[in-house]
Amino acid sequence: MSDREFAGKTAIVGIGGSDFAGLYRTPDPERTGEALATEAIAAAIADAGLEKSQIDGLITGGLPHYEPVAYRSGLTDVRFVVDYPQAGRMCAMALMHAATAVHHGLADYVVLFNSVVFRTQGTKFGAQPQGLLYDTIYGMASPGAQYSMGFTRYQAEYGGTEEQLGAIPVAIRSHARMTPGAIMQQEMTIDDYLASRYIAEPLRLFDYCLVNDGAAAYVVTTAERARDLAHPPVLIAGTSGRANFREWYVDLGFWDEACRSMKADLFDPLGVTTEDIDCLQVYDNFSVSVLWGLEGFGFAPKGQGLEWVQNGRIALGGELPINTSGGMLSESYLQGWNQHAEAVRQLRGQAGERQIPDCDWSLYWCLSALPGASLLCRDGLL
Amino acid sequence: MTEDRDGYLKPLPTVTHEDREFWAAAREHRFVLPKCQSCGHVWFPPYASCPACLSFDRGWTEASGRGTVWGFTIMRQPYIGSFEPELPYNVVLVELEEGPMVYSNLVGIDNAAIACGLPVEAVFEDATDEITLIKFRPV
Repeated sequence: MSDREFAGKTAIVGIGGSDFAGLYRTPDPERTGEALATEAIAAAIADAGLEKSQIDGLITGGLPHYEPVAYRSGLTDVRFVVDYPQAGRMCAMALMHAATAVHHGLADYVVLFNSVVFRTQGTKFGAQPQGLLYDTIYGMASPGAQYSMGFTRYQAEYGGTEEQLGAIPVAIRSHARMTPGAIMQQEMTIDDYLASRYIAEPLRLFDYCLVNDGAAAYVVTTAERARDLAHPPVLIAGTSGRANFREWYVDLGFWDEACRSMKADLFDPLGVTTEDIDCLQVYDNFSVSVLWGLEGFGFAPKGQGLEWVQNGRIALGGELPINTSGGMLSESYLQGWNQHAEAVRQLRGQAGERQIPDCDWSLYWCLSALPGASLLCRDGLL
Repeated sequence: MTEDRDGYLKPLPTVTHEDREFWAAAREHRFVLPKCQSCGHVWFPPYASCPACLSFDRGWTEASGRGTVWGFTIMRQPYIGSFEPELPYNVVLVELEEGPMVYSNLVGIDNAAIACGLPVEAVFEDATDEITLIKFRPV
Protein backbone atom coordinates (compact mmCIF):
# COMPACT_ATOMS: atom_id res chain seq x y z
CA MET A 1 0.00 0.00 0.00
CA SER A 2 1.88 3.03 -1.15
CA ASP A 3 -0.27 4.99 -3.55
CA ARG A 4 -0.73 8.73 -3.26
CA GLU A 5 -4.34 8.40 -2.17
CA PHE A 6 -3.53 6.09 0.74
CA ALA A 7 -0.42 7.92 1.90
CA GLY A 8 -0.95 9.71 5.19
CA LYS A 9 -4.53 8.53 5.62
CA THR A 10 -3.59 6.38 8.60
CA ALA A 11 -1.41 6.93 11.63
CA ILE A 12 0.31 5.34 14.59
CA VAL A 13 -1.24 6.98 17.62
CA GLY A 14 -0.01 4.91 20.53
CA ILE A 15 3.13 2.98 21.41
CA GLY A 16 3.92 0.75 24.36
CA GLY A 17 6.66 -1.66 25.30
CA SER A 18 8.23 -3.60 28.11
CA ASP A 19 11.32 -2.75 30.15
CA PHE A 20 13.81 -4.62 27.98
CA ALA A 21 16.83 -4.02 30.21
CA GLY A 22 15.05 -4.91 33.44
CA LEU A 23 13.79 -8.16 32.01
CA TYR A 24 17.24 -8.94 30.66
CA ARG A 25 18.92 -8.25 33.99
CA THR A 26 16.34 -10.21 35.93
CA PRO A 27 14.73 -12.82 33.69
CA ASP A 28 11.27 -13.78 34.83
CA PRO A 29 10.15 -17.07 33.28
CA GLU A 30 6.75 -16.66 34.90
CA ARG A 31 6.03 -13.60 32.79
CA THR A 32 4.69 -15.28 29.71
CA GLY A 33 4.57 -13.87 26.21
CA GLU A 34 0.86 -13.26 26.75
CA ALA A 35 1.52 -11.32 29.94
CA LEU A 36 4.20 -9.21 28.26
CA ALA A 37 1.91 -8.55 25.31
CA THR A 38 -0.86 -7.39 27.60
CA GLU A 39 1.47 -4.93 29.36
CA ALA A 40 2.52 -3.50 26.00
CA ILE A 41 -1.07 -3.29 24.76
CA ALA A 42 -2.21 -1.51 27.92
CA ALA A 43 0.67 0.96 27.60
CA ALA A 44 -0.04 1.64 23.92
CA ILE A 45 -3.75 2.25 24.53
CA ALA A 46 -2.95 4.60 27.42
CA ASP A 47 -0.33 6.39 25.31
CA ALA A 48 -2.94 7.00 22.62
CA GLY A 49 -5.34 8.38 25.22
CA LEU A 50 -7.96 5.82 24.28
CA GLU A 51 -10.25 3.60 26.28
CA LYS A 52 -9.85 -0.12 25.88
CA SER A 53 -13.45 -0.35 24.74
CA GLN A 54 -12.58 1.70 21.65
CA ILE A 55 -10.15 -0.93 20.35
CA ASP A 56 -11.93 -3.07 17.78
CA GLY A 57 -9.05 -4.69 15.91
CA LEU A 58 -6.26 -6.97 17.10
CA ILE A 59 -3.19 -8.15 15.22
CA THR A 60 -0.86 -10.50 17.02
CA GLY A 61 2.78 -11.22 16.34
CA GLY A 62 5.18 -13.52 18.08
CA LEU A 63 2.60 -15.57 19.92
CA PRO A 64 0.91 -18.72 18.72
CA HIS A 65 -2.61 -17.32 18.98
CA TYR A 66 -4.57 -14.15 19.60
CA GLU A 67 -7.14 -15.66 21.90
CA PRO A 68 -5.24 -15.84 25.21
CA VAL A 69 -4.18 -12.21 24.76
CA ALA A 70 -7.71 -11.16 23.89
CA TYR A 71 -8.97 -12.69 27.15
CA ARG A 72 -6.28 -11.08 29.29
CA SER A 73 -6.53 -7.68 27.75
CA GLY A 74 -10.31 -7.69 27.62
CA LEU A 75 -10.41 -7.30 23.84
CA THR A 76 -13.00 -10.04 23.64
CA ASP A 77 -15.40 -8.34 21.24
CA VAL A 78 -13.10 -7.02 18.52
CA ARG A 79 -14.31 -7.24 14.94
CA PHE A 80 -11.01 -7.65 13.12
CA VAL A 81 -8.40 -10.22 14.14
CA VAL A 82 -5.24 -11.53 12.48
CA ASP A 83 -2.47 -13.82 13.68
CA TYR A 84 0.94 -13.25 12.18
CA PRO A 85 3.49 -16.06 12.39
CA GLN A 86 6.45 -15.71 14.71
CA ALA A 87 8.92 -14.03 12.38
CA GLY A 88 10.84 -10.79 12.46
CA ARG A 89 10.07 -10.04 8.87
CA MET A 90 6.41 -9.48 9.67
CA CYS A 91 6.58 -6.05 11.33
CA ALA A 92 6.03 -3.92 8.21
CA MET A 93 3.49 -6.47 6.97
CA ALA A 94 1.46 -6.24 10.18
CA LEU A 95 1.58 -2.44 10.02
CA MET A 96 0.41 -2.56 6.40
CA HIS A 97 -2.45 -4.81 7.42
CA ALA A 98 -3.49 -2.58 10.32
CA ALA A 99 -3.39 0.56 8.15
CA THR A 100 -5.40 -1.12 5.41
CA ALA A 101 -7.96 -2.32 7.92
CA VAL A 102 -8.62 1.10 9.44
CA HIS A 103 -8.50 2.83 6.06
CA HIS A 104 -11.26 0.58 4.76
CA GLY A 105 -13.31 0.59 7.94
CA LEU A 106 -12.73 -3.02 8.97
CA ALA A 107 -11.90 -1.53 12.34
CA ASP A 108 -11.54 1.94 13.84
CA TYR A 109 -8.64 1.36 16.21
CA VAL A 110 -6.35 -1.61 15.68
CA VAL A 111 -3.86 -2.66 18.31
CA LEU A 112 -0.97 -4.70 16.99
CA PHE A 113 1.89 -6.20 18.91
CA ASN A 114 4.88 -8.49 18.92
CA SER A 115 5.80 -10.45 22.02
CA VAL A 116 8.80 -12.73 22.36
CA VAL A 117 10.28 -14.89 25.11
CA PHE A 118 13.36 -16.02 23.23
CA ARG A 119 15.61 -15.80 26.27
CA THR A 120 13.27 -17.61 28.62
CA GLN A 121 12.71 -20.31 26.01
CA GLY A 122 16.44 -20.64 25.41
CA THR A 123 15.98 -20.03 21.69
CA LYS A 124 19.29 -20.60 19.91
CA PHE A 125 18.50 -19.58 16.32
CA GLY A 126 20.98 -22.28 15.38
CA ALA A 127 20.37 -25.61 13.74
CA GLN A 128 17.09 -26.41 12.06
CA PRO A 129 16.25 -30.13 12.10
CA GLN A 130 17.02 -30.26 8.39
CA GLY A 131 17.35 -27.10 6.35
CA LEU A 132 16.03 -26.83 2.84
CA LEU A 133 19.50 -27.39 1.39
CA TYR A 134 20.33 -30.23 3.81
CA ASP A 135 22.05 -27.50 5.84
CA THR A 136 22.79 -29.41 9.01
CA ILE A 137 24.52 -32.36 7.39
CA TYR A 138 27.20 -29.87 6.37
CA GLY A 139 27.18 -28.11 9.72
CA MET A 140 25.38 -25.08 8.27
CA ALA A 141 23.44 -23.57 11.12
CA SER A 142 21.91 -20.22 12.00
CA PRO A 143 20.74 -17.18 10.05
CA GLY A 144 23.97 -15.43 11.02
CA ALA A 145 26.00 -17.97 9.06
CA GLN A 146 23.91 -17.17 6.00
CA TYR A 147 24.52 -13.43 6.34
CA SER A 148 28.19 -14.21 6.97
CA MET A 149 28.38 -16.02 3.61
CA GLY A 150 26.82 -12.97 2.04
CA PHE A 151 29.48 -10.78 3.60
CA THR A 152 32.39 -12.88 2.30
CA ARG A 153 30.83 -12.54 -1.13
CA TYR A 154 30.28 -8.81 -0.69
CA GLN A 155 33.93 -8.36 0.31
CA ALA A 156 35.06 -10.35 -2.72
CA GLU A 157 33.01 -8.12 -5.02
CA TYR A 158 33.56 -4.74 -3.43
CA GLY A 159 36.31 -5.01 -0.82
CA GLY A 160 36.00 -3.55 2.65
CA THR A 161 37.19 -4.68 6.04
CA GLU A 162 35.68 -6.11 9.19
CA GLU A 163 36.88 -3.01 11.01
CA GLN A 164 34.83 -0.85 8.65
CA LEU A 165 31.77 -3.03 9.27
CA GLY A 166 32.26 -2.45 13.00
CA ALA A 167 31.29 1.20 12.57
CA ILE A 168 27.66 0.05 12.34
CA PRO A 169 27.35 -1.79 15.68
CA VAL A 170 29.55 0.83 17.37
CA ALA A 171 27.27 3.70 16.29
CA ILE A 172 24.15 1.80 17.24
CA ARG A 173 25.60 0.98 20.66
CA SER A 174 26.28 4.65 21.30
CA HIS A 175 22.54 5.23 20.80
CA ALA A 176 21.56 2.45 23.19
CA ARG A 177 23.63 4.17 25.87
CA MET A 178 21.30 7.16 25.57
CA THR A 179 18.16 5.02 25.76
CA PRO A 180 16.60 4.15 29.11
CA GLY A 181 15.53 0.51 28.92
CA ALA A 182 18.02 -0.49 26.24
CA ILE A 183 19.74 -3.74 27.13
CA MET A 184 23.34 -2.99 26.16
CA GLN A 185 24.58 0.00 28.11
CA GLN A 186 28.33 -0.62 28.15
CA GLU A 187 30.45 1.56 25.94
CA MET A 188 31.74 -0.24 22.85
CA THR A 189 34.75 1.00 20.91
CA ILE A 190 35.92 -0.35 17.58
CA ASP A 191 38.64 -2.22 19.52
CA ASP A 192 35.98 -3.84 21.71
CA TYR A 193 34.15 -4.84 18.55
CA LEU A 194 37.26 -6.34 16.97
CA ALA A 195 38.07 -8.19 20.21
CA SER A 196 34.68 -9.91 20.28
CA ARG A 197 34.65 -13.55 19.26
CA TYR A 198 33.67 -14.82 15.87
CA ILE A 199 30.37 -16.68 15.67
CA ALA A 200 30.33 -17.43 11.94
CA GLU A 201 33.50 -15.79 10.64
CA PRO A 202 33.76 -13.06 9.41
CA LEU A 203 30.78 -12.04 11.59
CA ARG A 204 31.36 -11.52 15.29
CA LEU A 205 29.23 -11.56 18.40
CA PHE A 206 28.62 -7.80 18.11
CA ASP A 207 27.42 -8.13 14.52
CA TYR A 208 24.53 -10.17 15.92
CA CYS A 209 21.33 -8.89 17.44
CA LEU A 210 20.39 -9.72 21.00
CA VAL A 211 18.26 -12.62 22.18
CA ASN A 212 15.83 -11.41 24.81
CA ASP A 213 12.27 -11.30 26.08
CA GLY A 214 9.92 -8.40 25.59
CA ALA A 215 6.92 -6.95 23.84
CA ALA A 216 5.96 -3.86 21.88
CA ALA A 217 2.53 -2.68 20.75
CA TYR A 218 1.09 0.12 18.62
CA VAL A 219 -2.35 1.54 18.06
CA VAL A 220 -3.23 2.45 14.49
CA THR A 221 -6.21 4.46 13.33
CA THR A 222 -7.13 6.90 10.58
CA ALA A 223 -5.27 10.20 10.41
CA GLU A 224 -8.57 11.99 10.85
CA ARG A 225 -9.30 10.31 14.18
CA ALA A 226 -5.65 10.59 15.12
CA ARG A 227 -5.82 14.37 15.17
CA ASP A 228 -8.17 14.27 18.18
CA LEU A 229 -5.89 12.08 20.27
CA ALA A 230 -3.18 12.61 22.86
CA HIS A 231 -0.08 13.06 20.70
CA PRO A 232 0.76 14.55 17.33
CA PRO A 233 -0.15 11.82 14.82
CA VAL A 234 2.66 9.94 13.13
CA LEU A 235 1.44 9.30 9.61
CA ILE A 236 1.93 6.07 7.74
CA ALA A 237 3.15 7.38 4.39
CA GLY A 238 3.46 3.90 2.95
CA THR A 239 4.45 0.30 3.44
CA SER A 240 5.86 -2.15 0.97
CA GLY A 241 6.90 -5.78 0.72
CA ARG A 242 8.79 -7.77 -1.82
CA ALA A 243 9.35 -11.49 -1.28
CA ASN A 244 12.76 -12.94 -1.92
CA PHE A 245 12.31 -16.62 -1.15
CA ARG A 246 15.58 -18.45 -1.72
CA GLU A 247 16.55 -21.70 -0.04
CA TRP A 248 19.91 -20.16 0.93
CA TYR A 249 18.18 -17.05 2.34
CA VAL A 250 20.68 -14.28 1.51
CA ASP A 251 19.92 -12.67 -1.83
CA LEU A 252 22.72 -13.07 -4.35
CA GLY A 253 22.51 -9.36 -5.14
CA PHE A 254 22.37 -8.34 -1.45
CA TRP A 255 18.67 -7.47 -1.79
CA ASP A 256 19.35 -4.74 -4.28
CA GLU A 257 16.30 -5.44 -6.41
CA ALA A 258 13.99 -5.79 -3.43
CA CYS A 259 15.24 -2.49 -2.01
CA ARG A 260 14.84 -0.68 -5.30
CA SER A 261 11.33 -2.02 -5.69
CA MET A 262 10.30 -1.03 -2.16
CA LYS A 263 11.92 2.38 -2.53
CA ALA A 264 9.98 2.99 -5.74
CA ASP A 265 6.78 1.96 -3.95
CA LEU A 266 7.38 4.25 -1.01
CA PHE A 267 9.19 7.26 -2.45
CA ASP A 268 8.01 7.75 -6.02
CA PRO A 269 4.31 8.45 -5.49
CA LEU A 270 5.21 11.12 -2.92
CA GLY A 271 8.22 12.63 -4.64
CA VAL A 272 10.28 11.78 -1.56
CA THR A 273 14.03 11.26 -2.02
CA THR A 274 16.78 9.87 0.18
CA GLU A 275 17.68 13.50 0.98
CA ASP A 276 14.36 13.91 2.77
CA ILE A 277 14.92 11.04 5.19
CA ASP A 278 15.97 12.27 8.63
CA CYS A 279 16.64 8.92 10.26
CA LEU A 280 16.63 5.23 9.56
CA GLN A 281 15.08 2.85 12.06
CA VAL A 282 15.90 -0.43 10.35
CA TYR A 283 16.06 -4.16 10.95
CA ASP A 284 19.56 -4.82 12.27
CA ASN A 285 19.37 -8.55 12.82
CA PHE A 286 22.98 -8.50 11.62
CA SER A 287 25.17 -5.47 10.99
CA VAL A 288 25.51 -6.36 7.31
CA SER A 289 21.76 -6.03 6.82
CA VAL A 290 22.13 -2.30 7.52
CA LEU A 291 24.98 -2.04 5.02
CA TRP A 292 23.07 -3.72 2.21
CA GLY A 293 19.94 -1.68 2.78
CA LEU A 294 21.93 1.56 2.69
CA GLU A 295 23.20 0.62 -0.75
CA GLY A 296 19.94 -0.88 -1.98
CA PHE A 297 17.90 2.19 -1.08
CA GLY A 298 20.55 4.43 -2.58
CA PHE A 299 21.77 6.20 0.54
CA ALA A 300 25.29 4.91 -0.11
CA PRO A 301 26.81 4.28 -3.53
CA LYS A 302 26.83 0.60 -4.54
CA GLY A 303 29.87 -1.13 -3.10
CA GLN A 304 30.88 1.87 -1.01
CA GLY A 305 28.62 1.43 1.98
CA LEU A 306 31.42 0.45 4.31
CA GLU A 307 33.29 3.67 3.62
CA TRP A 308 30.04 5.61 3.78
CA VAL A 309 29.21 4.59 7.37
CA GLN A 310 32.54 5.80 8.78
CA ASN A 311 33.30 8.94 10.78
CA GLY A 312 30.03 9.32 12.62
CA ARG A 313 27.77 9.71 9.62
CA ILE A 314 25.22 7.22 11.00
CA ALA A 315 25.47 8.26 14.65
CA LEU A 316 23.29 10.86 16.33
CA GLY A 317 24.61 14.25 15.30
CA GLY A 318 25.69 12.80 11.96
CA GLU A 319 24.12 13.14 8.54
CA LEU A 320 21.82 10.11 8.82
CA PRO A 321 21.40 8.59 12.29
CA ILE A 322 20.50 4.90 12.26
CA ASN A 323 18.62 3.03 14.97
CA THR A 324 18.64 5.87 17.42
CA SER A 325 17.40 3.79 20.37
CA GLY A 326 19.97 1.04 19.88
CA GLY A 327 18.13 -1.20 17.41
CA MET A 328 18.13 -4.94 17.82
CA LEU A 329 21.90 -5.01 18.15
CA SER A 330 21.83 -3.09 21.42
CA GLU A 331 18.33 -2.07 22.57
CA SER A 332 16.17 -5.16 22.16
CA TYR A 333 15.47 -7.90 19.64
CA LEU A 334 11.82 -7.06 19.16
CA GLN A 335 12.08 -7.86 15.47
CA GLY A 336 11.54 -4.41 14.03
CA TRP A 337 8.89 -3.42 16.53
CA ASN A 338 11.22 -1.37 18.73
CA GLN A 339 12.42 0.45 15.60
CA HIS A 340 8.94 1.67 14.72
CA ALA A 341 8.38 2.75 18.32
CA GLU A 342 11.55 4.84 18.17
CA ALA A 343 10.49 6.30 14.83
CA VAL A 344 7.25 7.41 16.48
CA ARG A 345 9.14 9.04 19.36
CA GLN A 346 11.44 10.86 16.94
CA LEU A 347 8.60 12.07 14.74
CA ARG A 348 6.61 13.26 17.76
CA GLY A 349 9.65 15.08 19.09
CA GLN A 350 9.69 12.94 22.23
CA ALA A 351 13.09 11.28 21.92
CA GLY A 352 14.72 13.30 24.69
CA GLU A 353 18.48 13.67 24.40
CA ARG A 354 18.34 11.47 21.29
CA GLN A 355 15.97 13.83 19.51
CA ILE A 356 16.91 14.58 15.92
CA PRO A 357 16.17 18.26 15.21
CA ASP A 358 13.25 18.78 12.80
CA CYS A 359 12.71 15.08 12.29
CA ASP A 360 10.12 14.76 9.52
CA TRP A 361 10.65 11.38 7.84
CA SER A 362 11.75 7.99 9.13
CA LEU A 363 12.34 4.91 6.99
CA TYR A 364 12.28 1.26 8.06
CA TRP A 365 13.41 -1.80 6.17
CA CYS A 366 13.89 -5.47 6.91
CA LEU A 367 16.04 -7.55 4.57
CA SER A 368 15.03 -11.17 4.95
CA ALA A 369 13.26 -13.83 2.95
CA LEU A 370 10.30 -11.46 3.00
CA PRO A 371 11.70 -7.95 2.80
CA GLY A 372 9.41 -5.24 4.06
CA ALA A 373 9.67 -1.49 4.45
CA SER A 374 7.67 1.39 5.82
CA LEU A 375 7.84 5.15 5.64
CA LEU A 376 6.50 7.31 8.47
CA CYS A 377 6.28 11.06 8.72
CA ARG A 378 5.03 13.97 10.79
CA ASP A 379 1.54 15.29 10.27
CA GLY A 380 1.21 18.10 7.77
CA LEU A 381 3.67 16.76 5.22
CA LEU A 382 1.26 14.79 3.06
CA MET B 1 18.59 -43.97 10.27
CA THR B 2 19.71 -43.66 13.88
CA GLU B 3 19.94 -47.43 14.41
CA ASP B 4 22.61 -47.96 11.75
CA ARG B 5 24.93 -45.00 11.63
CA ASP B 6 28.19 -46.98 11.37
CA GLY B 7 29.70 -44.75 14.03
CA TYR B 8 28.81 -41.58 12.11
CA LEU B 9 27.64 -39.04 14.68
CA LYS B 10 26.75 -35.97 12.61
CA PRO B 11 23.29 -35.22 11.23
CA LEU B 12 22.10 -37.30 8.28
CA PRO B 13 19.40 -36.43 5.77
CA THR B 14 15.86 -37.68 6.20
CA VAL B 15 15.36 -39.38 2.85
CA THR B 16 11.91 -38.97 1.34
CA HIS B 17 10.12 -39.95 -1.86
CA GLU B 18 11.30 -36.63 -3.33
CA ASP B 19 15.03 -37.17 -2.95
CA ARG B 20 15.45 -40.96 -2.71
CA GLU B 21 16.91 -41.13 -6.22
CA PHE B 22 19.34 -38.32 -5.46
CA TRP B 23 20.74 -40.12 -2.43
CA ALA B 24 20.75 -43.50 -4.20
CA ALA B 25 22.89 -41.97 -6.95
CA ALA B 26 25.21 -40.32 -4.43
CA ARG B 27 25.74 -43.72 -2.85
CA GLU B 28 27.04 -44.85 -6.26
CA HIS B 29 29.24 -41.72 -6.30
CA ARG B 30 27.14 -40.05 -8.95
CA PHE B 31 25.83 -36.49 -8.64
CA VAL B 32 22.42 -36.18 -10.22
CA LEU B 33 20.07 -33.22 -10.35
CA PRO B 34 16.34 -33.10 -11.06
CA LYS B 35 15.57 -31.94 -14.59
CA CYS B 36 12.20 -30.90 -15.92
CA GLN B 37 11.07 -33.02 -18.84
CA SER B 38 8.75 -30.23 -19.85
CA CYS B 39 10.89 -27.06 -19.82
CA GLY B 40 14.41 -28.36 -19.25
CA HIS B 41 14.97 -26.48 -15.98
CA VAL B 42 17.47 -28.05 -13.56
CA TRP B 43 16.87 -27.46 -9.86
CA PHE B 44 17.93 -28.29 -6.32
CA PRO B 45 16.86 -29.42 -3.73
CA PRO B 46 15.00 -32.30 -5.41
CA TYR B 47 11.41 -31.15 -5.09
CA ALA B 48 8.99 -33.43 -6.90
CA SER B 49 7.92 -30.64 -9.24
CA CYS B 50 9.70 -28.07 -11.37
CA PRO B 51 9.81 -24.64 -9.65
CA ALA B 52 10.17 -22.96 -13.06
CA CYS B 53 7.03 -24.32 -14.77
CA LEU B 54 5.29 -26.41 -12.09
CA SER B 55 5.44 -29.53 -14.22
CA PHE B 56 5.50 -32.80 -12.29
CA ASP B 57 7.25 -34.58 -15.13
CA ARG B 58 10.62 -34.87 -13.44
CA GLY B 59 13.68 -36.60 -14.81
CA TRP B 60 17.30 -36.60 -13.70
CA THR B 61 20.49 -35.36 -15.26
CA GLU B 62 24.10 -36.15 -14.40
CA ALA B 63 25.74 -33.06 -12.92
CA SER B 64 29.26 -32.22 -14.00
CA GLY B 65 30.18 -31.82 -10.35
CA ARG B 66 31.90 -28.57 -11.18
CA GLY B 67 31.04 -25.21 -9.75
CA THR B 68 32.43 -22.14 -8.06
CA VAL B 69 32.35 -20.94 -4.48
CA TRP B 70 29.74 -18.14 -4.23
CA GLY B 71 30.31 -17.46 -0.54
CA PHE B 72 31.66 -19.16 2.55
CA THR B 73 31.71 -18.91 6.29
CA ILE B 74 33.94 -20.37 8.96
CA MET B 75 31.75 -21.73 11.72
CA ARG B 76 33.09 -20.96 15.19
CA GLN B 77 30.00 -21.48 17.33
CA PRO B 78 29.05 -25.02 18.37
CA TYR B 79 25.44 -24.92 17.16
CA ILE B 80 25.45 -28.62 16.30
CA GLY B 81 27.03 -30.75 19.02
CA SER B 82 28.38 -33.44 16.70
CA PHE B 83 30.29 -30.80 14.71
CA GLU B 84 31.98 -29.35 17.79
CA PRO B 85 35.20 -31.40 17.48
CA GLU B 86 35.69 -29.97 13.98
CA LEU B 87 35.42 -26.30 14.92
CA PRO B 88 36.35 -24.11 13.17
CA TYR B 89 35.04 -25.69 9.98
CA ASN B 90 33.98 -24.21 6.67
CA VAL B 91 30.60 -24.18 4.99
CA VAL B 92 30.37 -23.01 1.40
CA LEU B 93 27.58 -22.05 -0.94
CA VAL B 94 28.55 -23.49 -4.32
CA GLU B 95 27.07 -22.29 -7.58
CA LEU B 96 26.93 -25.40 -9.76
CA GLU B 97 27.77 -25.24 -13.44
CA GLU B 98 24.16 -26.27 -14.11
CA GLY B 99 22.82 -23.31 -12.12
CA PRO B 100 21.55 -24.57 -8.75
CA MET B 101 23.10 -23.45 -5.47
CA VAL B 102 24.16 -26.06 -2.88
CA TYR B 103 25.58 -25.90 0.61
CA SER B 104 28.58 -28.09 1.24
CA ASN B 105 32.03 -28.27 2.81
CA LEU B 106 35.34 -27.78 1.05
CA VAL B 107 37.94 -30.46 1.65
CA GLY B 108 41.63 -30.47 0.78
CA ILE B 109 42.12 -26.77 1.50
CA ASP B 110 42.99 -24.64 4.52
CA ASN B 111 40.09 -22.53 5.70
CA ALA B 112 42.29 -19.45 5.31
CA ALA B 113 42.74 -20.19 1.59
CA ILE B 114 39.05 -20.38 0.75
CA ALA B 115 37.91 -17.59 -1.55
CA CYS B 116 34.79 -16.63 -3.45
CA GLY B 117 35.03 -17.58 -7.10
CA LEU B 118 37.25 -20.58 -6.40
CA PRO B 119 36.58 -23.34 -8.97
CA VAL B 120 35.66 -26.59 -7.24
CA GLU B 121 34.60 -30.13 -8.08
CA ALA B 122 32.48 -32.67 -6.26
CA VAL B 123 33.94 -35.45 -4.16
CA PHE B 124 31.99 -38.22 -2.50
CA GLU B 125 32.31 -38.98 1.17
CA ASP B 126 30.65 -42.14 2.40
CA ALA B 127 29.10 -41.33 5.76
CA THR B 128 27.23 -44.60 6.33
CA ASP B 129 26.39 -47.64 4.22
CA GLU B 130 23.32 -45.78 3.03
CA ILE B 131 24.35 -42.14 2.84
CA THR B 132 27.13 -40.55 0.84
CA LEU B 133 27.67 -36.82 1.21
CA ILE B 134 28.67 -34.68 -1.74
CA LYS B 135 31.50 -32.34 -0.80
CA PHE B 136 33.82 -30.24 -2.93
CA ARG B 137 37.55 -29.71 -3.39
CA PRO B 138 39.49 -27.08 -5.30
CA VAL B 139 40.07 -27.99 -8.95
